[in-house]
Parts: sequence; C-alpha cells; structure tokens
Amino acid sequence: MAAEAEVLDELHRLRARVPQLTGALAASVDGLVLAQDTPGVEPEGVAALTAAALGVAVRLADATSQGDFRELLVRGTDGYVATYAAGSSAVLTLLAEDAVNVGRLHLEGRRSSSRIGELVEEAAARPEPVRTRSPTGNRSRAATEPPPPLPTRTPRGGARTPAPNTTTTERAGKSR
Amino acid sequence: MANTETALKEALASIEGATGAALVDYTSGMALGTIGGSKGFDLNVAAAGNTDVVRAKLRTMEHLGLKGEIEDILITLSDQYHLIRLIQGRGGNGLFLYLVLDNKRANLAMARHQLKRIESDLEV
Repeated sequence: MAAEAEVLDELHRLRARVPQLTGALAASVDGLVLAQDTPGVEPEGVAALTAAALGVAVRLADATSQGDFRELLVRGTDGYVATYAAGSSAVLTLLAEDAVNVGRLHLEGRRSSSRIGELVEEAAARPEPVRTRSPTGNRSRAATEPPPPLPTRTPRGGARTPAPNTTTTERAGKSR
Repeated sequence: MANTETALKEALASIEGATGAALVDYTSGMALGTIGGSKGFDLNVAAAGNTDVVRAKLRTMEHLGLKGEIEDILITLSDQYHLIRLIQGRGGNGLFLYLVLDNKRANLAMARHQLKRIESDLEV
C-alpha cells in the first residue's frame, strides 16, 4: 500500500486533536500495518488482533442484518480500543485512556477514518503502487523508478527462497 | 417527573428563542438525547465539545480548591446564547442539559429560570 506518509500525517494530526489518545494505527483489513503511531505497544500485534476482531464484527453485523461494518469499541478498565472502517480495504484503530471524551473520539475517529480511506483508495487507484515519500505530489515521475518491495507478511513456507531442507516451523522461528 | 425526551421537547417548546437542546453525559461526551439543531449545527458535535468545556471548568475549580458546584455556564456568541446546566442529584450526576438560544428572540433570565425548572423535573 502506498500513501504511508500521508496516512501517518493524518495519525499525528489526530493525536494532536485528541490528546487522550495513547496510540493510533492504520491497518489493512487483513492485518498488515499501513502506518502507526503507537508508542509502547507493538503495532503488528494490534493490527493482527484488529483484523481478527474485525472478522468477527463484520460477521456479527451481517448475521444480525445491521449492514456493513462501521466501528467497534472495546472498553477496558484502563481505557478504550476503537476501530473504524476506513474505506473498504483499511481500518483505523485508536487506543485511548479511560478519561477520553468518547463523543469526541467518535467524531474525530470517524472523520479521520474516512480521510484515511480516501488516501488508501487513491493510492490503490494509482497506475503504479509506488511508495511516495516526497510531498511534491509529482507521482508520475516516481513511477519510472523500480518499485521498492512492498511490506507484505511472508506466508508460511514463504516465497523468499528458503533453504531446501528447512521446515516451515523452523523458518518461522528464525524470522522472529 | 419527565423523561429525557419529554424534557427536551419541553425545553424547545416552552423556552422562547430555543433552537436546539441536548442531554449530555460528560463522563463519555455522548448525548443521551437531542432535539432541534440543523444540518449545519450537529448537536452531537456540540455535546462532545461542551463536555470539554464542563470538564475544563471542573478541573480548574479543583485546582483552585473551590468546594462549590457548577449550576450553569453561559456562553455568549454574537448571535446565540449557549446555556449549560449541570444536573444535580438523583442519579443525574455526570449529566448536563445544553440549550441553544437565538439571542434576538430569547429572554436570558426567563430561559435560565425555565431550564432550571425543566432540570428539576427531569428523571433520567
């Protein structure tokens, strides 16, 4: 996914607007981190859990005829985890302390998630999905360079030329 | 005794110049009920924003060591009055009534008096 820098900007803006946020993370619906600002929390784990929770939430909404997934709010004794749909392929997950103004959290979270949805879809619609870090907006020029490898989660027994006699479990262990 | 919906309806109907009202939980910033408002004036946005106002005032009072309680907060705009009335007792703790008035039509003293009456009748 491209648009990482723009999405990260949006996350920073969001954290400035809602000071009680302790973390913000944009992930694809299949659990890959797009951009994150989550000090003290491992973003990969949160993204993966978000994807799992999202799967249940989507099915729950569907099974009870509530339409498409919009958002998910979890409250712990010490704070909140809120997940908002950001377009059809991404989600925004926010971590907030218990004292947060939930009304504001929803307002800002919804606004931000639709913005992130637009950014992600714009990036996906570009002819060449090159990661653009330059803020110039001159993206057609970047397309002439070879695209850098995308941050994908390697599937089990992945395609990255494993040594012929190593098993998948060994490989998973080594990659940690 | 009036429930949330009746109280809000009464606020809008009986207070001259009222254009919107909401009952807001300031522990969460979410509105328990809203009435009036318009496309350009989202009462849920107002609920969240005014929650910050109430919380800031409560925090300031705590820092100043003031023991009293907030009865109401008046915000005067060039063409509107916004009245925030905190609900006292009877499990209404952590709630406030929010009233938007058109300042050309409203009588502030009367509005404040009526809102106080509506608050005392409200049962959440």
